[in-house]
Amino acid sequence: METKIGVFICNCSGTLNNIDFDAVVKKVVELPGVTSIKFISPLCLEEGKKKMLSCIREENIEKVVVAACSPEFKEHVFREVLENAGLNGHLFSMANIKEQCSWVHEGDVTGKVVELIKMAVSRTRLLQPVKMNNFSVNREVLVVGGGFEAINAALQLSRAGLRTTLLEREAVLGTGTTELENLCGFDINAMVMEVKGDENIEILAPAEVIETSGKIGDFNVRIRKGGEEISRKYGALVIATGYQTKLALESKLKSDVNIVSQEKLCHMLEDPELRIRPRTIGFMLDFADENSRLPTLATLNNALAAKRKWGSEVYVFCKNVKVDSERIERLYQEARDCGVMFLKSDVSPKVAAENGKIKIEAKDIFLGEDINLTCDVLVAEECLLPAEETEALSSILNIRRDSRGFYQDENVHLYPVASEKKGIFFIGGCRGNLDLSRVLTDVSSVVVSIYKLLSSGNILAEVERVKVDPQKCVACLTCIRICPHNAIQLVRVDGGKEVAEICDLACEACGICAAMCPAKAITFQGYRDEEILAQVETIGES
Amino acid sequence: MNNCIVAFCCEHSAYPAADLAGKLKLHYPENLRIIRVPCAGRVDLIHILKAFEKGAAAVMVMGCEGGACHHMTGNTRTKERVKYCNLLLREIEADGRLVAMFNLSPNAPHKFVGAVNEITKRIKESGR
Ligand SMILES: Cc1cc2nc3c(=O)[nH]c(=O)nc-3n(C[C@H](O)[C@H](O)[C@H](O)COP(=O)(O)OP(=O)(O)OC[C@H]3O[C@@H](n4cnc5c(N)ncnc54)[C@H](O)[C@@H]3O)c2cc1C
Ligand code: SF4
Ligand code: SF4
Repeated sequence: METKIGVFICNCSGTLNNIDFDAVVKKVVELPGVTSIKFISPLCLEEGKKKMLSCIREENIEKVVVAACSPEFKEHVFREVLENAGLNGHLFSMANIKEQCSWVHEGDVTGKVVELIKMAVSRTRLLQPVKMNNFSVNREVLVVGGGFEAINAALQLSRAGLRTTLLEREAVLGTGTTELENLCGFDINAMVMEVKGDENIEILAPAEVIETSGKIGDFNVRIRKGGEEISRKYGALVIATGYQTKLALESKLKSDVNIVSQEKLCHMLEDPELRIRPRTIGFMLDFADENSRLPTLATLNNALAAKRKWGSEVYVFCKNVKVDSERIERLYQEARDCGVMFLKSDVSPKVAAENGKIKIEAKDIFLGEDINLTCDVLVAEECLLPAEETEALSSILNIRRDSRGFYQDENVHLYPVASEKKGIFFIGGCRGNLDLSRVLTDVSSVVVSIYKLLSSGNILAEVERVKVDPQKCVACLTCIRICPHNAIQLVRVDGGKEVAEICDLACEACGICAAMCPAKAITFQGYRDEEILAQVETIGES
Repeated sequence: MNNCIVAFCCEHSAYPAADLAGKLKLHYPENLRIIRVPCAGRVDLIHILKAFEKGAAAVMVMGCEGGACHHMTGNTRTKERVKYCNLLLREIEADGRLVAMFNLSPNAPHKFVGAVNEITKRIKESGR
């Protein structure tokens, strides 16, 4: 027997005045499957929802169509009414007769309204219920890395009540962060002490990840520590493996003692026994690597320090000074005020070593003149690169990297810090985000995201909304390769056959796999071919 | 199908753009029929061809801006499918431009209306 569809129509408190609702009701009542039709306005407020609820109960309605405004705004409201009435929330469609009909057309639109409702009814007849399930998840988190970012994240996760493991490749935590101490006044040692004293945090160092499998809420990680292999389970993984720098220098200049890195200059500035203070210092910036946020910060800080401590003449040769992070614009202004000279050039200046000095030839595009400068010390440009082993770890985790080799966010606009594999997150340096304010934001975002996912120990999710039919799947791997959220895996089913299987927790219900599967083995409840085609076929029928 | 225009609209971009067009009381031809999809990437060849079989004057597939697809690759994959569909239409000597992919952001109601007007112009030019 055909299921009973109830149609609820609303005129949004009278704002849809180019529709003859009596005529609509007369036509809709004749549609196959429709057993009940009610005009209630406004339907989305308490009284309307109450009427809708009791009508569903009294008339034993099994599926619902609402003809009103856009599902973008009110779908969840009406779904809730269905669920309160004991119906499955997926047995429901909306006909958008407001924003996409009455309001965009002049004159009577009764005919179009009837057709939109017809399309919704034809889809609704085919809808099938989708169950929800509480998937239990492991509440422990693995943080890979042992630098400032990782320590910070571990401390915050622990404070949020999540047990955390900190896994560092080196034997000691917090190395490679001296720059931060100098620049920003963070006391790394105190943070390391705090981590060590935290009962909620376990430290594995030196150790490395050698294999991962599983999915959000249930990752299996194999770890090598001191020649021994251990297996652990985690609900989420955080990657905070940082970055490395390389000096952009011709090979013949690499050994020159007067050409230094930012770090070396820092040490010189701190050295009480330094005998000769450099009188003239040159900096190079933004020629070899346009991603120069962090080098810009270092250049401005060090240029200012050299000016203040040594009273040196400081010249910054640059293509652009990128001041798009917190504090930098002010630092730049301070540097200018102190007399640091910024020389803008389109092409990388020529550098040569001569009689223990460094000669720099550049063309300043503002002055339009050639500049020849002899300096005592040149601070070479630093290029930022992903940390060693980023490539290896990305293949262990099966996640993407961007064109520069850093880890790639899932969707840079919508889900920064999330990888395309749900449950794996990145912080700061390893995703190419390299100044302190951004790193701290990343840490907070990751902690909040993980707290939301794991804190209750359960994740409520739809079951098999998108599903592979193992009978039809020919294991061609198309869906596994193209799923943008990395939600599909190959599994072995009874009888030894291998088929694709979609992880309900990781699937974002985009339907790309359903369109691509050559065997038509994937169904997406609500957007199955039948349901889409039913709407297409209804168009223009009347 | 009374020469309707069928528009498959992604719920992350074109569909809210169409809603905004309504809120701003912009106007576009009444023969537009919008079908909401979770991503332009869900739209398959069969959906487009069935619309033509049923007599649609044109089919629009509307997804997120290039490089800003909610599901990363949905819009580019479907663009390829739409291109293939262009060829199929040409093969049967129909105007290939009557199926087209449009990219827009959710806050672009004028671009939405512009796209509908563009396809309407193409329908007129093709003599339907
Ligand atoms: C949200 C946001 C995002 C941003 N993103 C970026 C970005 O991605 N990339 C970026 O580059 N900037 C970015 N900026 C910063 C902005 O573009 C800077 O203000 C920019 O660097 C200033 O350049 P200008 O040519 O507009 O300024 P100007 O002041 O005209 O020129 C500045 C340049 O000219 C040189 N100069 C000026 N006078 C002299 C002189 N007498 N002698 C020698 N040299 C001189 C300076 O050395 C400097 O390099 C961003 C800003 C914001 C707010
Ligand atoms: S695309 Fe289809 S046939 Fe191929 S592996 Fe995936 S489900 Fe199986
Ligand atoms: S619907 Fe989208 S996210 Fe879900 S499995 Fe298919 S391609 Fe992946």
